[in-house]
Amino acid sequence: MVMFTVIAVDISGRHRIDAGYYMVCAAVSLEITPTSIEKINEINTDAFLLNRSAELHDIVRIIETTVTKIKKKGPLIVECGDLFNLDENLSKTMFTQEIRYQESIGERKAIELAHYVSLSTRKLLLKETGLDIRIHENDEDENDEKDESGDENDNENGADNT
Amino acid sequence: MNPYQEPVTDASRNVILVMRTDPDSNAEDNERKLQEFSELTKALNDRVVDVITQERYSDRKYNVGSGKAKEIAIAARDKKASCVIFYDPLSTSQIYNVSKLCNEAGANCRVMDRFQLILDIFAERATTHRSKLQVELARLRYELPNARMLVSLSKKEERAGWGGLGDYEDSYEQDIKKRIARINAELKKADLEEEARRVYRHKNGFFIVSLAGYTNAGKSTLFNTLVDEQTESKDMFFTTLIPKTRALVINKRKILLTDTVGFIEDLPHFLIDAFRSTLEGIYFSDMILLVVDFSEPVEHIRKKLMISHETLWEKSTSNIITVLNKSETMKPAERKKKLQELAHLIYNPIFISAKTGMGISDLTSEINRNLPVLLTKTISLPNDERGAAALSWFYDNGVVEEILYGKYMTFEFSAAEEIMARADDIVLKAQ
Repeated sequence: MVMFTVIAVDISGRHRIDAGYYMVCAAVSLEITPTSIEKINEINTDAFLLNRSAELHDIVRIIETTVTKIKKKGPLIVECGDLFNLDENLSKTMFTQEIRYQESIGERKAIELAHYVSLSTRKLLLKETGLDIRIHENDEDENDEKDESGDENDNENGADNT
Repeated sequence: MNPYQEPVTDASRNVILVMRTDPDSNAEDNERKLQEFSELTKALNDRVVDVITQERYSDRKYNVGSGKAKEIAIAARDKKASCVIFYDPLSTSQIYNVSKLCNEAGANCRVMDRFQLILDIFAERATTHRSKLQVELARLRYELPNARMLVSLSKKEERAGWGGLGDYEDSYEQDIKKRIARINAELKKADLEEEARRVYRHKNGFFIVSLAGYTNAGKSTLFNTLVDEQTESKDMFFTTLIPKTRALVINKRKILLTDTVGFIEDLPHFLIDAFRSTLEGIYFSDMILLVVDFSEPVEHIRKKLMISHETLWEKSTSNIITVLNKSETMKPAERKKKLQELAHLIYNPIFISAKTGMGISDLTSEINRNLPVLLTKTISLPNDERGAAALSWFYDNGVVEEILYGKYMTFEFSAAEEIMARADDIVLKAQ
């Protein structure tokens, strides 16, 4: 049976909360076959707080930062929606390592697993850090103004190796 | 004119295919999509008289640019086209606007999109009551979001106006909703029967194997080869719409093989919903033979396998054997190279040719290897009338090895776990 080492990546929390955009990226190194997950090698999660919604270059940076800490390397597998449905060939040029969108059942299962990891880690971190998850719709315009003036001071909270 | 309700009448229509592509899309991919689009029309015996393409972002009014829309209308008139088919899904107003342009140019044609074409193909293939209901359900679900707009457009010239006695036909949408509810109820009943049949088959020790794969991969040809049947198989999209199940015996074990409808790229959700019960036949089988046309270029195979995996991944828990059909057309070295390039998508590969019979024995042994392990037990039945009746049950439900006749009939019986659990009761009753 042929097995492949891949790193499945998923980002949770791309919506706005009180504190801004609190995103958790999970990178999971796995051994997969075309139809199943055979082994999980290692997992890394990183949390990122932005004061504006993430753009493509932010997503690339978030993924690259999270994946760097994975020792067992392999091609990155991401959901095309995470990269704004960008054409696969275009997205390949933006990363320092091989990347492709999910294709086989095994890869889809790997992404699903990464999604559970990022989602649950985010929930846990929100609880631990006490960040309010309520969305203040009325503050949206006010925050947008702040975003425009504030910029580039995005905090980055490392929440390593779950 | 109601563009949705016109029935398919001509045996061979002149059609114009229109394909708009985004400027930053993959040219090779677009070429493949256009080829597949053209293949689809063959399923209704249509004659493609012109293919019009344009590279631009979608236009709200016509889908293509206004100049291109006029070009389509003139081409439809000059080439006497009875149908203009767009690859992209069209909104009701886009259909109306392009139809209007065609009428103004003097062309008498129906404007539709690829989904409508697929629905027409399905409507022609549906022969059983259940499949007819499924097709009707898909058509109604397709129409529903556009129903209001459709009435508004068809009444554009004759509005009742304030205080007038005329009536707006709001009931059209309501009628569709009612009909959908009625079909859903009827299909639910049919689905329950199907589920009961599936449970019965499992309970009786049948191992269920389904043929799945992209449309025109050769599933029906393989089905015919495996079960020695004469099911219709053609070099055409969606030849099989209604699932067919036949018994197959491999190494004395009883298997039920089911041939099903093929997958296609961008299959609209209303079609998937309508054919959910048919797809469930694949999801709940014990093994899936994922058939692939291996003679195609690597990129095409990759895309088709991707779509098949996407359709199967959420629900299916079955074993998968990837059957690489039409392998006789290439040399072993070429096969190996292709296999290496697609290794991440191909599980349990078997090279076969359903047409020539190449590799069929390898496939049957692979199926046999993947069958669940049978339990074996020595059974002794009295050699009388009751014993003979019980013996008949053992023959029906498992594998009976050579019988030693004496005062008792003694034999080795192999069967699945569920059957073996009932074997003791049968023996007791025979005593």
